[in-house]
Amino acid sequence: MSVRSGTRPEPAWRARLRALLRDTTLAGRPLEWYLSGWRLALILLVVMVIFPWLVGSTFVADAIAVGIYITLAVGLNIVVGYAGLLDLGYVAFFAIGSYAEATGTFGALQLNSVTGEVIHTPVLPFWPLLVIGALVAGIFGIVLGAPTLRLRGDYLAIVTLGFGEIVPILFNYFPFWFGNTGMSALPPADINLGGLTITFSDPLNRIPFYYVVLAVVALVILGSFSLRDSSLGRAWVAIREDETAAASSGVNLVRTKLLAFGLGATMGGLGGVLNGAYIGAISPNDFPFFVSITVLMMIVLGGIGSIWGVTLGAIILRFIDVDLLGRISQFVQANPVVNNPVSPLHFLSTVDFNQAKYLIYGIMLLLMILFRPQGIIPDVRRRRELKGIGAAVESTSAIGVLEREEAGAELAAVDTLDQTTYAGPGSDDIGRSGD
Amino acid sequence: MANDDVLLQLSGVTRTFGGLTAVDGVDLTVRRGQIYSIIGPNGAGKTTVFNLITGIYRPTSGDVTLDGNSIVGYTPDRVLRAGVARTFQNIRLFNNMTVLENVLVGQHVRFPGDLISIVFHLPNYNRAERAARARAIELLGFFGPSMVALQDEYALNLSYADRRRVEVARALGSNPKLLMLDEPTAGMNDAETAEAVGYIQALRRDFGVTILLIEHKLQVTMGLSDRIAVLDYGKKIAEGLPDEIRTNELVIEAYLGRKAAI
Repeated sequence: MSVRSGTRPEPAWRARLRALLRDTTLAGRPLEWYLSGWRLALILLVVMVIFPWLVGSTFVADAIAVGIYITLAVGLNIVVGYAGLLDLGYVAFFAIGSYAEATGTFGALQLNSVTGEVIHTPVLPFWPLLVIGALVAGIFGIVLGAPTLRLRGDYLAIVTLGFGEIVPILFNYFPFWFGNTGMSALPPADINLGGLTITFSDPLNRIPFYYVVLAVVALVILGSFSLRDSSLGRAWVAIREDETAAASSGVNLVRTKLLAFGLGATMGGLGGVLNGAYIGAISPNDFPFFVSITVLMMIVLGGIGSIWGVTLGAIILRFIDVDLLGRISQFVQANPVVNNPVSPLHFLSTVDFNQAKYLIYGIMLLLMILFRPQGIIPDVRRRRELKGIGAAVESTSAIGVLEREEAGAELAAVDTLDQTTYAGPGSDDIGRSGD
Repeated sequence: MANDDVLLQLSGVTRTFGGLTAVDGVDLTVRRGQIYSIIGPNGAGKTTVFNLITGIYRPTSGDVTLDGNSIVGYTPDRVLRAGVARTFQNIRLFNNMTVLENVLVGQHVRFPGDLISIVFHLPNYNRAERAARARAIELLGFFGPSMVALQDEYALNLSYADRRRVEVARALGSNPKLLMLDEPTAGMNDAETAEAVGYIQALRRDFGVTILLIEHKLQVTMGLSDRIAVLDYGKKIAEGLPDEIRTNELVIEAYLGRKAAI
């Protein structure tokens, strides 16, 4: 596919890299052959399968934390990137997934009617909950999506933000879910093979659980590609480009948007279930608004609509959060210059860089928006849209707006009609064309 | 008035926007196989009539029937499923999609709707995708090999006339019974207009569709239409064969302006 307009000459380093990939051969094939399409995915998968054996256990834990957020980012990307619906309350589905896992494995609060003692009975193990949690979140995605369908742009963002706030508050409110305390010491996910038990959420050995997360992430990414390259994916793009034309081409707006909300929420729920099992303890305070913002930032940073982009965005931001900032704090505090009480840099020894997380995110986002708004690995179509090549009908051009516009146009037309004089007997044009 | 011949019927269709009555009690009867034109001065309510038929607006009162069944209150996609496809006066292509993708969206209703088939690309989905792609090429081929060659071009990069063609191809994707063209020759020069007139006739012949069109150029309308309705200020002031319209005094008055008629 050629992009004729709006292309700039590519920078020299990229041309050189491209040439290198083309000219270097491995087993008779140029390197670029290996780095395209499913082959790249396969290579990545193999790398990720051997990853735990190459690195220390810290990085395995990091990878799990990152993987959970990849699931979230890829899920939200369906809503924001594909369907173009700005959802600021995505944390709701993460919370629902987590609570589904906890409620199932830990059991809801019950009071012993005789002694008044608090008891809880586990209902289901982790494995069925992985499916159930995702489905419950998906259903809530549709339920919460339904009232927002008539909204767009800012209004949609505000209402979804509200849902994101309400859901943790509800979990907090009901004693059924242990209120503000939440649930802790969730039973680990196990697989019992004859006499051999594999514990999937053992804090001392994260490798088995790493593979669970890897499998979920791989499926979510695969599913996301499959959706993008389907009639549904096309319908989402069509809605984003022009709702009225999409509807007139047979795209059911309600159904198509709800599917985006539902599928995005399902993936959010999956991430939540993994989170519950991984952390082993949840409370309503684990689901603040900033989770939604962070996931959204991963998408913007990586490239809206681009699966590899949002995956990379999730890796970068989550790694900064769970690993890098702690390392920076340690490094700075261990630094002799900082340690020295008379050093002007001594104040740094009290700085916890983890506290600066959102500051750093904010600066990154700002730089990104200024210098590379399409993201690190941009989606081809989104890049065109951002550059205004498309000058597509603005996404607010819903039927409602259209109605107002055309009503206005009709009024204006009636107005001008009074002043219209006939063009002349030789003309075969009736008035002028409408626009 | 049961008549098998009647495809689309509007009875007393009215639409008001605030205090303005954009369409006022319009009756239309479009018969199968006709090329039927709606003409009228700017702001007469022609496009509003289109929007009322295709479910973008809901009539304030009155009824729209297709094949004898009321389609009032249908959403635009349901109207399409019922067999009515349209183009827009100001061309509404999906600019950042390729020509082929645009025509594929037009065939959206021919794809399986269930999520399982879509996500797993099950055989029924793949069959639909293959058939839709083949059909899209066929539809583009209707406008000549040059359109087929443009299949991977982004819609935005096309010439004006090509954009109109793609929009028609997209509308044909659903195999409509009724094809509604909103000013198919607007903004075209004489040669392009003549070509458009040719393909509109060919559309009826090759696809067996009934065509309802809005047209400003009288020459086009007169030569093309089996029947013409004239709107002015939202009211139908005349209807008939092209020759009847040409000589109708009300029509002449509407077009020449009231001052000329005095």
